[in-house]
Amino acid sequence: MVTPRPTRGYRVFQAVNAVVLTAVVVVTVYPFLTIVARSLSDNAAIVSGQVNLVPRGFNLTAYRVVTSDPAFWISYRNTVVYTVVATLISVVLTTCYAFVLSKKHLRGRTALVGIAVFTMFFTGGLIPNYVLVTSLGLKNTVWAVALPNAINVFNLLVMKAFFESLPVELEEAAAVDGLGTYGTLLRIVLPLSKAMVATMVLFYAVSFWNSWFAAFLYMDRQDLLPVTVYLRNLIVGASDATQTGGGLGSGDDIVQAAATIQSVTIVLTVLPILAVYPFIQRYFVSGIMLGAVKG
Amino acid sequence: MVQLSRRQVLLATGAAAVVSLTGCGDDGPDKKDLDRNRAGAMEKYGVGDQFRATEPVTFSILYNNHPNYPLKPEWLFWSELAKRTNVKLDPVAVPLSDYEQKRSVLVSSGDAPLIIPKTYHPQENSYVSSGAILPVSDYLDLMPHFAEKLEKWNLKPEMDTLRQEDGKFYLLPGLHEKPWQEYTLAVRTDILEQLGIPSPTTWDEVYTMLKAMKAAHPDVHPFSDRFGKPNPAGNLLNMLALSHGLPGAGWNYQATAWDAGAGKYVFTGASEQYRQVVTFLHKLVAEGLLDPETFTQTDDQARQKLASGKSFVISTNAQTLVNDYRPDIAKINPNARLKKIMFPIGPAGPVNPASRLENGVMISSKARENKNFVAMMQFIDWLWYSDAGQEFAKWGVEGTTYTKDASGRRAPAPDVDIVGLNPKGTKHLQKDFGFANGVFAYGGKLDLVQSFFSPEEMEFQREMNGRKPAPWVTPPPAPLTDEEREQTTLWATALKDYVTQNTLRFALGQRPLSEWDAYVTELKGKNAQAYTDLVNKAYERYRKNHG
Repeated sequence: MVTPRPTRGYRVFQAVNAVVLTAVVVVTVYPFLTIVARSLSDNAAIVSGQVNLVPRGFNLTAYRVVTSDPAFWISYRNTVVYTVVATLISVVLTTCYAFVLSKKHLRGRTALVGIAVFTMFFTGGLIPNYVLVTSLGLKNTVWAVALPNAINVFNLLVMKAFFESLPVELEEAAAVDGLGTYGTLLRIVLPLSKAMVATMVLFYAVSFWNSWFAAFLYMDRQDLLPVTVYLRNLIVGASDATQTGGGLGSGDDIVQAAATIQSVTIVLTVLPILAVYPFIQRYFVSGIMLGAVKG
Repeated sequence: MVQLSRRQVLLATGAAAVVSLTGCGDDGPDKKDLDRNRAGAMEKYGVGDQFRATEPVTFSILYNNHPNYPLKPEWLFWSELAKRTNVKLDPVAVPLSDYEQKRSVLVSSGDAPLIIPKTYHPQENSYVSSGAILPVSDYLDLMPHFAEKLEKWNLKPEMDTLRQEDGKFYLLPGLHEKPWQEYTLAVRTDILEQLGIPSPTTWDEVYTMLKAMKAAHPDVHPFSDRFGKPNPAGNLLNMLALSHGLPGAGWNYQATAWDAGAGKYVFTGASEQYRQVVTFLHKLVAEGLLDPETFTQTDDQARQKLASGKSFVISTNAQTLVNDYRPDIAKINPNARLKKIMFPIGPAGPVNPASRLENGVMISSKARENKNFVAMMQFIDWLWYSDAGQEFAKWGVEGTTYTKDASGRRAPAPDVDIVGLNPKGTKHLQKDFGFANGVFAYGGKLDLVQSFFSPEEMEFQREMNGRKPAPWVTPPPAPLTDEEREQTTLWATALKDYVTQNTLRFALGQRPLSEWDAYVTELKGKNAQAYTDLVNKAYERYRKNHG
């Protein structure tokens, strides 16, 4: 078989595509590489603006300093625990809700969708939420992070659309063979939805890994805070502290957390989630497409 | 059923209102009835006494967790505090980066700890109307050290600035014996020597100096500034305005400022002094002396320029000079020398424009119902306001963390370091012991405040203290009512944005200074006048009611 020669228009398209996408890659990767370079550089070189893509005054001292700080590892462990627990809960709940909503014969389906969508546009507000979580006794527990945001409505709708796209005949056949609702979900639907579920895991895991506000709000003890809050305090806190002049009244010795330390913490924080991406990437593309093309 | 006539209802409502209003007086019926709140309190507690609760007590406290010295439960501070006062503090640790937000949520949801430190006036204003925080001025008789310092250091005018519409104050501020001006300019003295010019003492001399620097180095902007948050060039504007006799411009921008000459409040961004400040900035930018990026760049960018010799002058305080600029520049140019110059003098004359109040402590209203309330007030009084408590919070335990020679000079113990006073020390006063903690240690007597200063900084402070204090930094009270505050808040943001925006346009030459009058008129169109009138009305009202 002879492959047809690509037309001229197509080749131009490909060239433009390549150029534009390369530009996007450069723009995205450049800041990240800079941070990595900074994390390996000497602080003085950073402050004098000499570090771009290549580390200057290469050293690993900052990595040693950060990794020898027990508070960093405690926060890190918290982040891992919160992310795993919250993602698990979220994926289970979202799958169940989406599966139910995908059934056309369900009575009150519109109302159930409405309830979910309603929360996309309206919230109770910060303080009522805080009071609710506190009086439920969830404060200072992992549940305060995992439960209030368990279902992301956008993810729910994507998943619902995906389930709707599965052929009804499949489930009818399963029912004929004697499977109940749960059996259908667990043995027929889920095995067919691996791509979708993997995508959801990725979405949720990334968002919980990166989130800091819920933990900041509901955790009163330092040893419960995730690494994002640790990082935020290091970066925002250190630069704010120099600002609020009066605070130095005590002779607080405020040293701006060295630029190297900040970069190292950033690198260590994004590394795991970055490592997960390549493995889920292939599901990710197909998963999102599956949801989207449903007619 | 009894039918109430409309008149009866009105009468009853009126009577109820009168009753509740009289309840607001300074000596409310509530005040003296502390019998149920004395558990753990000392019977006799006066100036010079060591506070010690008669039974072990625990108080919850909001804790501002500093990234440089994160909270550790094993700090000597906690155990020694318990030993001396019988008080255990139960901290709710909040990262410094978002302290204010969490405080706001906790107070608003009624979940706040009893003691809420690290509050900068006027942050407490927004909590007053909800009744969530305690009018501490009602309970000063429980705080002998605080009262004594107010008296001895003559701080009444300063305290009056904290008063709310009801004549009370809700914040226990940090108190300084002497004003402490922290910020000024740092200058490359090696460049000054090359050019053969003396260290400038006035803003005019600063201008001449920059001119000479520019002449010798035409390719640089000799002055490139930092501290541009939250307002562009905030610190520079603030310093300039202060030397023109105008408080509350720059990074701590306040809509209105007290004009002592006229005896009334004026709109800060439209005042004559502000015009002079903007004109001066414009001159610096127009002649290439001030880096236009001063108004947009980050602190780090300004530091980089200074370190790499692209600028010679920058704003500084004692810490940034020692911790940032000198180490930065030493690696690149070992011959460069940097010095903090005297706060430049402007039209307001040689004054020390710093305030003597600091951030302070709010107390949750819930504390009033606590059976240990009196003990808690005594404890706060001891830790934050007694000489012994302040010394403990700052320096720790004599013999363990610091030593004192015959003349009373304190020095860190041989193995302890703090602000580089003892670089050989292996342990850190803040990180390893929990002292000199921004939450507990600030203010106090001059010798205590200065005990961390380097000889260089002492020199600077000695000269600043030789200048006369500026009475206009403590304006008379003009507290707004709730409705007024809401109204002004609605106006304030638009006004502030407009002032900032036009300050930049004037300074950068995008708008000619001849349009100043037009700008003032535009401000009036955005309710600047109404705002100022409201504040002046509040000032008059307060004077009549409490004056």
